[in-house]
Amino acid sequence: MGTPGGLHSDFETLLTRFQETDSVRFEDFTALWRDMKFHTIFYGRTRHMEKNKFTKEALSLAWKYFLPPYTFQIRVGALYLMYGLYNTQLCQPKQKIRACLKDWDEVMKFQQDLTNAQHYDASYILRKLRLDKAFHFTAMPKPLSYRMKKNIPRTEVTEEFKEPNDRVMKLITADTLEEIMNIHEHYQEMKQIISADKSQPDKALSLIKDEFLVNIKNLVLEHKQWHEDKKKLFTKVKNEDDQKEKEGSSQELEGSERAGALAKIKSKAYSIVTQASKSRRHRQVKLEPLESELVKKLGKTPCSKRNKEKLESEEETSSQIKDFPAPKRKRRC
Amino acid sequence: MQTRLWRDSELRRSDMAADRLGDGGGGSSGDGGGFRFPEYEIPELNTKPFLVKALGKLWKERLVGARDFSLEPPAPGSLTGAGGGEEDAAVAEDLGCSLETATELSLVCGLDKLKYCEEEDDPEVIPEDTNLVTLGLRKRALEHREETITVDRICRQETFAYEMESHAIGKKPSNPADLVNEGELILTLNIFYPVIFSKHKERKPYQTLLVLGSQKLTELRDSFCCASDLQIGGEFSSTPDQAPEHTSKDLYKSAFFYFEGTFYNDRRYPECRDLSRTIIEWSESHDRGYGKFQSAKMEDFTFNDLYIKLGFPYLYCHQGDCEHVVIITDIRLVHHDDCLDKTLYPLLTKKHWLWTRKCFVCKMYTARWVTNNDCFAPEDPCFFCDVCFRMLHYDSEGNKLGEFLAYPYVDPGTFN
Ligand SMILES: [Zn+2]
Ligand SMILES: [Zn+2]
Repeated sequence: MGTPGGLHSDFETLLTRFQETDSVRFEDFTALWRDMKFHTIFYGRTRHMEKNKFTKEALSLAWKYFLPPYTFQIRVGALYLMYGLYNTQLCQPKQKIRACLKDWDEVMKFQQDLTNAQHYDASYILRKLRLDKAFHFTAMPKPLSYRMKKNIPRTEVTEEFKEPNDRVMKLITADTLEEIMNIHEHYQEMKQIISADKSQPDKALSLIKDEFLVNIKNLVLEHKQWHEDKKKLFTKVKNEDDQKEKEGSSQELEGSERAGALAKIKSKAYSIVTQASKSRRHRQVKLEPLESELVKKLGKTPCSKRNKEKLESEEETSSQIKDFPAPKRKRRC
Repeated sequence: MQTRLWRDSELRRSDMAADRLGDGGGGSSGDGGGFRFPEYEIPELNTKPFLVKALGKLWKERLVGARDFSLEPPAPGSLTGAGGGEEDAAVAEDLGCSLETATELSLVCGLDKLKYCEEEDDPEVIPEDTNLVTLGLRKRALEHREETITVDRICRQETFAYEMESHAIGKKPSNPADLVNEGELILTLNIFYPVIFSKHKERKPYQTLLVLGSQKLTELRDSFCCASDLQIGGEFSSTPDQAPEHTSKDLYKSAFFYFEGTFYNDRRYPECRDLSRTIIEWSESHDRGYGKFQSAKMEDFTFNDLYIKLGFPYLYCHQGDCEHVVIITDIRLVHHDDCLDKTLYPLLTKKHWLWTRKCFVCKMYTARWVTNNDCFAPEDPCFFCDVCFRMLHYDSEGNKLGEFLAYPYVDPGTFN
């Protein structure tokens, strides 16, 4: 049975509005939830069986938004959505959220992300769902009944909610890099033309570092390399997993190796997360490693000074709330 | 002839064969291959084979037992939202935040934030001022339902189905020893009826049972009831009172399950025959490309020991030729809200409502007799309930009148 048409569109309306808030705070989510009177989604004089079926479908649809490839913010929204649906449903006993083995590892990674970024409200809610025993721990996402279906509906991913593969590469393509190079060349030529000594631009016109362009190019290449390494590491980890299955004996050793590799990625990924402004924290999670590289690189050139100062000033604010990142007061400051 | 044979059986067998070839000829169960994550073989349809108990192991490695799958009810403090100081301390420790933060979290994330307590908030009534698409659609569907009359029958069937599905939910055993073990797996099985009515072409009728991973295959075999187990052989027109003494289940005890290249035969009784031998010999005597089938004792295996694909059609055969397709649709860890009384498993949770064959005379009661060459009957064969059968065919002293052959009949719908 397909998901009832309305659910899809109602979920997306709620999540789109949540996306527009640029926040991952539960408080902001509940404001929207209440505004849409979302708990009434279960209302109406329907039969028990229908209620069960509808609730199951609602929970399993919400679960889909809780997983990659959706953005961090959408996934937090989906977590809140599941929490809302689970607790306001009218079934007795409550219908459970189906968590399958393959997805659970993603959930654990996500939980780690939440903890590291100190999104306490989201962590709290995930913890609470687990404590309330809201999950069925299953083999597969849905029961498989070998129904001879003529057309199995394809699950489509909402593009607007998706994590772009690589924001940097999207922003700076080979074409734009070439364009920048051309502009730079042109710029240098112009400077030479208006300078006294035509072979060399005037010192007074030297407003940017000469190696500026080379630096950008290297940064982009470095980022690309990092991205590829990450992918390789990911597949390596996967292969190790497969190996582990085959061998089974040396499980522990490889497990710790894998844990080490993951820890390395994570420590890199979150190295300056706590320094970021809290309202944007959810966005920075994914971009951090690049920015930290950027800061290092740009730190060598004079023009980056301002940038650095800005980051530091943010650090100041965040240290003020470090001890109290609870959602409510956080939003005020 | 094997009239009850499932029509697709030929097709299915070749599927199984193909699957075995794909297996690379390796062992069918128990080895390291079982520790794989269950994953799709055919997307949305069925998984690759895996060892059932490996799934339980993988889950338990990932979960915190007491917290995630203990069979204790959820902590009462965690349900009300604002927990006490103890709860806050636990939150603070888990999240690595201060106690103050934990206290605030329990308020900010409270369930009261999800609901306005408005005056007229009746879950039965769809609010007028809603913008939710779901509610608009539901409203129209419910209005349409009210206008049509067909609801009654659907409604009754659905109530029946709902009661069947939920009757054992949350049940606790009277004897603590019968409590289901924590971390136990529950498997959902669909067992199809061997009947082929044309009206069931699209959807074959089946029943759904829940079994525990630790249960033996024989426990399912013993609890599963099929009309052919109750068939009574023989013609009884002269002695109708002597008819129902032995049912087929008592007489023909052999049976097997087929999963992933192995026939699991019921060998508990000396009179049990290895029903699968014919098939295995047939497969081996000619080079039929079916690979090597194995044979095992049904009573030696639990569901945990099985190597299976979820969603894949397997086989249960009894009475020599009564074949049922068996599909394991789901496996999960047992939950606090499940039926926790071990003795109630295998637990029937769904049954297809089969049309019963009614008595030709009264058109009211389910048929219990079928006659041939019946001088009183307008059709051949003809079906009768017990009362009408006797009234029509015998005098008040019970003497047979006229010519006819009579066989006891067990309607598949008897189990509705
Ligand atoms: Zn049967
Ligand atoms: Zn009758």
